[in-house]
Amino acid sequence: MVAYQVIGKPAPRFEGAEKVTGRAKYAADFSLPGTVWGKTLHSPHAHARIVRIDTAAAKQVPGVHAVITGADTRDGGLWGRGVKDAPVLAYDRVRYIGERVAAVAADDEDIAQQALDLIEVEYEEWPAVLDPFAALQPDAPILHPDFNSYFGFKYKQETPSNIHLQTRLDRGDVERGFAEAELIVENTYITQRQSQGYLEPHALLVHIDPADGRVHVWHCNKVPHNTRGALAVAAGIPEERIVFHPTFIGGDFGGKGNSRITPIAYYLAKASGRPVRMISDYLEEFLAGNPRHHVIIQLKSGVKHDGTITAHQVNYVVNTGAYAAFKPFGGIGGANQAAGPYRIPNCRIESTFVYTNLLPGGFVRAPGEPQGVWAIESHVDEIARRIGMDPVAFRLKNLIVEGEEAPWGEQFEHIRASETLQAAVDAAGYHAPKPAPGGAPGASAASPGDTAKPTHVGRGVAVGERGTGGGEGTSEITLNPDGSVVLGTPIFDQGTGTYTTLAQVVGEELGIALERIRLQVWDTDVIPSDAGLAGSHGTLIQTSAAHEAAQEVKQELVRLAAQQLEWPEAQIAFAAGELRRADTAESVPWADLLKRAGRSVSGRGHVVAPRSHTTAFVAQVAEVSVDPETGEVKLLNFTTAHDAGTVVNPIGFQGQINGGVVLGIGYALMEEIKIEDGRVTTLSFGDYKLPTPRDIPPLKTVVLPSQQGDGPYSIRGIGEAPCTPVAPAIANAVEDAIGVRIRDLPITAEKVYAALKLRGQDAEKPAQPASQGGVR
Amino acid sequence: MAANSPYQIRLTVNGEPREAGVPARRTLVDLLRYDLGLTGTKEACSVGVCGACTVLLNGRLVASCITLAVQADGALITTIEGVAEGDRLHPLQQAFIEHGGFQCGICTPGQIVAAKALLDTNPQPSEDEIKDWMMGNLCRCTGYYQIVESIARAAGARG
Repeated sequence: MVAYQVIGKPAPRFEGAEKVTGRAKYAADFSLPGTVWGKTLHSPHAHARIVRIDTAAAKQVPGVHAVITGADTRDGGLWGRGVKDAPVLAYDRVRYIGERVAAVAADDEDIAQQALDLIEVEYEEWPAVLDPFAALQPDAPILHPDFNSYFGFKYKQETPSNIHLQTRLDRGDVERGFAEAELIVENTYITQRQSQGYLEPHALLVHIDPADGRVHVWHCNKVPHNTRGALAVAAGIPEERIVFHPTFIGGDFGGKGNSRITPIAYYLAKASGRPVRMISDYLEEFLAGNPRHHVIIQLKSGVKHDGTITAHQVNYVVNTGAYAAFKPFGGIGGANQAAGPYRIPNCRIESTFVYTNLLPGGFVRAPGEPQGVWAIESHVDEIARRIGMDPVAFRLKNLIVEGEEAPWGEQFEHIRASETLQAAVDAAGYHAPKPAPGGAPGASAASPGDTAKPTHVGRGVAVGERGTGGGEGTSEITLNPDGSVVLGTPIFDQGTGTYTTLAQVVGEELGIALERIRLQVWDTDVIPSDAGLAGSHGTLIQTSAAHEAAQEVKQELVRLAAQQLEWPEAQIAFAAGELRRADTAESVPWADLLKRAGRSVSGRGHVVAPRSHTTAFVAQVAEVSVDPETGEVKLLNFTTAHDAGTVVNPIGFQGQINGGVVLGIGYALMEEIKIEDGRVTTLSFGDYKLPTPRDIPPLKTVVLPSQQGDGPYSIRGIGEAPCTPVAPAIANAVEDAIGVRIRDLPITAEKVYAALKLRGQDAEKPAQPASQGGVR
Repeated sequence: MAANSPYQIRLTVNGEPREAGVPARRTLVDLLRYDLGLTGTKEACSVGVCGACTVLLNGRLVASCITLAVQADGALITTIEGVAEGDRLHPLQQAFIEHGGFQCGICTPGQIVAAKALLDTNPQPSEDEIKDWMMGNLCRCTGYYQIVESIARAAGARG
């Protein structure tokens, strides 16, 4: 292993003191003289024509400064991160319950609400389509008749439909593969909507400077350069007129890459001539947010009795909701992952993204991947049980090894899938005797005597993988004659510890104590473009950029030393905070050199990295007990193993794993945005359950360090992988514990109880062939 | 504004006497954040579930998003801004920094104020007691492990 001085050592949070004292400023904490409050009116209908909006009474309310509708915003452009299909405010029609149709700016929130209540909207209700399969029918109402005119979509509709993206990938000969199979297993898996669950609802302050027309924005946004561009389009103004100012971001989890209310606040600021603050309250976050997508995943696999997979087919249907605008490129991942990192010679992967009259889905930590991994890792377990193989042995037989391609044709590098799985299985004691009697796989229904037993313990395993995303990053280091060090970055912190890892690079490369570094977070004027934070690339991109900046600084110092001290440049090296001359063993501290020169030196690093093919494998083992009387699933232990590359900051690394696993536990067991007749019914954190400290199991983390990764420090991203295999590991453990299989998330006590009841009824009837799959 | 803010209240916030005119429906969190400029207290769920807005009212934990400002008339309020003693961080604050007790930091003021109330009444809590007490403070970033550890370490450091 490379020996580092600072990289790899625990580093407390760089911005820690600000955050523990309440001094850290988030978007809602900024204020300007004359600031007014913006609030929005939401559609009560899933699909309707807007016949008329009357805002006259609202405008008369004392303290109201502006009332706007879609008529005021439609001359700008449509809204979206990449693809653009969402109006800033609805015009002509509404496409989901909760869509924003009007907005008010007023002296305070109460006055704004009073004015909203006085806006009269006349709707003509249209038939709504809430189910993605119904939306695919030829007679379904079409949500976006103008789809082909929208910006950014690669997909074009030949005839009007609700499909905005369709993909098909074929490798090998799937039909032949199924013909060669000795057993065909087909299953359908369903996932629910999961909220990002950040505790800071979207908040922003927009001010249009009357002196020069510049638009100043303070918004909880992790991709400010991207959103600046989106706002320029929606506002119909040049991008350079807009500047996003740094704020801390109160949690992201994929949701702070867009900003539904940003263009609305802009139009309110324009109409009112005042700085406008908008804060989505949490009811709006649930009603009109952009949660993890509802996906229906149909899998069909052909296998031989020895465990060889001969063919695999994925049909991945994504319920987009009313707009695709919150998926940067119009899609999410997960369809490929639904084939798994397995050796599959014949594979077909199809995905269909469908508009429905429901709240739009968006990006949530590892967008799409928990859905795909939920399906394949449940399915693989089911196959193993069907052919009487141990689920771990089945996976070990089929996981790809170095040199093999993933089923979707990607060539990963430095594959350690089996090693990671083995590490998790060993650490968890997966094969150890169970602490209490449990339902063995495939066991028949428990006898009345068995159901009296208090616990049924089971273990389940699941694997996943996540490559580090690509992107653009910039970093700047300035050394001053007074010995101070300034680290410049365009990153707005969303909590993952970027400032700390940046500081560690400065410490590592320049031998500077972290406490001496002063951070300078840039607004969007400073550099023309930046990728911000996404796709688990933060640590890789940022450390790469800072490393480059540090080398620049060192070269600058060497050149300066040659100039000032008249040393031969070839003899000068920077080490441990000093310039050293090799031939005479003279040395001078860098600050002394700068004092002598009377100037600062700085270096800037700029990197554009492609998406990495060095994927990081993760394997997890859940140990659960199931109460046969109630169906309650209790997590007894959880083990997570990661092929990690260099761990830059062990505190932050463990924090990403802990938070990811618990987000996955919420997804597996409790979190669900529920919808009835198109209306979200879980409208607060009272109804929508996030895990609490009482819901977390003892967690064992296994790290497989490796020299292989990307960038100067061999990095592999860790932000997203920990959350993906959690749900199938738990579902597999539930089956191991009590013999029932849950195929739709979340795995609630009600579902387990119902499955147990159903099995009890089946057991009283004569044996019937399995409803899904069949032996050929 | 007087017509809209008919209730004159006096309270002590972090040891300082403060006064404000508020409407009856003004919440304590809005009073603190927007009338008194103490933005360290955060509002997240607005229904008293998540704990981000936790402050101490006469030493007791309250959710300031569902407490009316007029209910705080005459009260002693402690917010996150009043936890450190000048530049000296409270052992809880120090422990949260050293042990990864936060990531994004939005729930942290509430976490620390709640944990302070715990240690003020139970200086040596067990892990179970910490988890029980902190159930009313949600965190999406940390999965709680390092929060529980931070509180336990702070308790240990205080001896």
